[in-house]
Amino acid sequence: MKKLNYLLAAFAFLAITTMTSCSKEEDSCHECHVAYMLANGNEVAVDFGEFCGEALEDAEAPGYTVDIPETIVGTDTVPAGTYGNGNMEIHCEDHGDHDH
Amino acid sequence: MINTLFVNAQTVGVVLDDGGVPLSDVNVYFSDQEILINTDSEGVFTLQEETPNNSYIHFFKAGYATRLIKYQNGLLSKVILEKLHVSLDEVGVVESYNMLGNSKLTNIEKKRISFLESSSMVESITQLNGVDMISSGLGIQKVVVRGLSGMRVVSYLNGMQINNQQWANDHGIGFTDLGLQEVELIKGASALKYGAEAIGGVLYFKDYPFISSEKLKGFVATKFNTNSYFSSNQFGVKWGQNNFHFNLYGQYSIAADYRLPNNWYLFNSRFKQNALKFSVAYRNNNWQNIFRYQLHTEAPGIPGHIHGDPNAASLIDLTSSSLDLSTGFATSRPSQNVNNQIFIYESNYVIDNIRFNFYAGHFINNLQEWEKWSRPAFDMDLSNTQITPSIRYSNNNMTVHLGSQITMLNNKNNIEDRLVPDASSFNVGPYLTIDYDKDNYGLNSGLRYDYKNLKVNDQTGEFNIDYDKVFSSTSFSSGLYYKLTDHIFRLTYSGAYRAPHFSELFSDGVHHGTNRYEIGSAELNIEYANQFDLKYQWFNNHLGIVINPFAQYISDFISVNPADTFISGYKVYNYIQYDQVEIKGVEMNLHYHPHALHNLHFEQSYSFLQTKNKDDKYGLALTPANSIKTKVLFDFDGVFDGWEKEIKKMWKHLDYISLYHQYKFKQDSYAEYEEETDAYSVINLQLGLNLTERFLCTLGVENLLNEEYTPHISRVRGVAGGIPSPGRSFNINLKYEF
Repeated sequence: MKKLNYLLAAFAFLAITTMTSCSKEEDSCHECHVAYMLANGNEVAVDFGEFCGEALEDAEAPGYTVDIPETIVGTDTVPAGTYGNGNMEIHCEDHGDHDH
Repeated sequence: MINTLFVNAQTVGVVLDDGGVPLSDVNVYFSDQEILINTDSEGVFTLQEETPNNSYIHFFKAGYATRLIKYQNGLLSKVILEKLHVSLDEVGVVESYNMLGNSKLTNIEKKRISFLESSSMVESITQLNGVDMISSGLGIQKVVVRGLSGMRVVSYLNGMQINNQQWANDHGIGFTDLGLQEVELIKGASALKYGAEAIGGVLYFKDYPFISSEKLKGFVATKFNTNSYFSSNQFGVKWGQNNFHFNLYGQYSIAADYRLPNNWYLFNSRFKQNALKFSVAYRNNNWQNIFRYQLHTEAPGIPGHIHGDPNAASLIDLTSSSLDLSTGFATSRPSQNVNNQIFIYESNYVIDNIRFNFYAGHFINNLQEWEKWSRPAFDMDLSNTQITPSIRYSNNNMTVHLGSQITMLNNKNNIEDRLVPDASSFNVGPYLTIDYDKDNYGLNSGLRYDYKNLKVNDQTGEFNIDYDKVFSSTSFSSGLYYKLTDHIFRLTYSGAYRAPHFSELFSDGVHHGTNRYEIGSAELNIEYANQFDLKYQWFNNHLGIVINPFAQYISDFISVNPADTFISGYKVYNYIQYDQVEIKGVEMNLHYHPHALHNLHFEQSYSFLQTKNKDDKYGLALTPANSIKTKVLFDFDGVFDGWEKEIKKMWKHLDYISLYHQYKFKQDSYAEYEEETDAYSVINLQLGLNLTERFLCTLGVENLLNEEYTPHISRVRGVAGGIPSPGRSFNINLKYEF
């Protein structure tokens, strides 16, 4: 009986860890930004909206462009202009949160 | 000495100690048949199948000297295992069967792979001297042997060479510990049978053998750690009767981002892995056939991803202050999708002193690297077909291996975007090795010739390549062994070559996994390596010492160096070739059991490595720092015998307690674009429990003191000033065997 209890406990642990470790479906909407490269090699990210599904595909496709106004990020100023399609890169991957 | 065993449509024998007492639970491993059985309470083992003459049988029981015996039928006999005063198998010369060769004559190291031992197979292998890892958490890990990795360290899994785009540091080992029993390691180019281009070394991973049992046997196992909420679950079932055997294993693993010592989480260091493994064996008299299939899929995140100069990045931008468990396991970007499939067919026929072997394997690797959500940056299928016919002839003192390894490799991009081009290669490598072993001396010698034709034809996008070149060369290995009372000397001289890989020749594009724009060079030539390896061992009943100096000289060493330019926001790295590189070092092991306390094991290993680039004043990139690894283990076996019944009952579940300490010296020998790395210490603690005879558990703490450190060879050392490795982690590992 004791052995059965141990076995049941093990299976329960296995089941719990498996079930609780299952991940959610990937979120299909993501914040996109212009990766503006400064002269010193650093990147300044300028968000320009959240995109989902086909709109996300379009935003990530070569040739996509977006107009952004002059934007100040910290101590850096990103000039207004049309970006993408060879003028800087557009990215939609996530980053760690900055809530430190 | 040849021992003989009685046969009558079955193989039966008895194992005794040197006092004539039957030994139960002795592992009896039929090496050529890959079947493992155990002796019963009367020391008797029975295999319900005939065993061909001259098959090797390996007898092992903890606390006893192992024996390797060549089977002969016709006479009843016994096998005697000498009781060891203490078990010093790590430093003593052990009779054992090895896929990589004769361990008396060749410097072969072995490590048991245990699900219970650590969170990761690669981490447990790094306990071997001279072995390190390139990693960024548990999701991406690669083995480093004496400072060499990637294409120079070749991994074999059940005889199949692993080709999974291992040229890059963000491409992991490609499989887990599922169903594995042990790994053998040769450092340097001495494994001629498997070692075409393995100038750094060969790792041979072996599955757990088949069994012979009327009842279905197996296990379920699970592990969990608190640092990344890593959960890994495995099952295995095994059965074997009447010449038919099968093993089936499955695994599911998942982890969230890992926690740094400062309680931040490294964003996107999460991963998922699934694996399924199936093997069947069928024997008909002297002829055995084995078929294996393995599927391994994984989706590791690529942490430390940055646009622009990685050194200028801030750790804040790469981390999160907290972990949301509802989203923390979800795949993010950038990430990889890896799908590996292995098909193996192996056939053995043993007659008299000859073993004929035919091996055919097919490995399919699909690698997708996703930086965007809607399309991958590259998507490649790399298929590798390997055919190896071979013959082994052995008499009392000599063993001859003659064979040829034929490999056909094809790399195919599935989309227009690509980092490396379509390519194919055809390689034929005949080899001959001779081992002579008599009394207290022996020698081995081997020769291998490889003909490799590499073709690259790709006019897609920016590529305009039409390349067809033959790389041919000879590899060799020779060694001497001599035993003088308790002193053992082993000297090896080996030479090998490595042809440039198509990634080194023709890369041209962004590699998100390394934060680089990589450019190859079609002018690269063959690397040539020569290695001297001297191993001295001495041991008595309580103390064992190993000293192993070595030196390797590599000409035309291929490396990748940064330039002062950026393309698409990524720093450019060019593949170049150094005229001459030296790798020298010494490895030492100390193993001690106090006479007054046999249950206490003290093991310490020292690894000192120096690399030198003769083209400039610097060392090589990613050279591991020197290290001292210490393990103190107390085994509770028999400790409570003679104690009061109540106390004995309370503590009877204790199996062992161990403390593992790794000290890494500061690394002040580095490549021109690297920086010095500080020294650090990491301590792990583990308690082993036998909850019941079949239900095993380990409880552990890794990085007990929550040390903040970044190894010199960390995959993310050059990012944000060096991203620290995981902080303190509490682990629980459970395994139930039935």
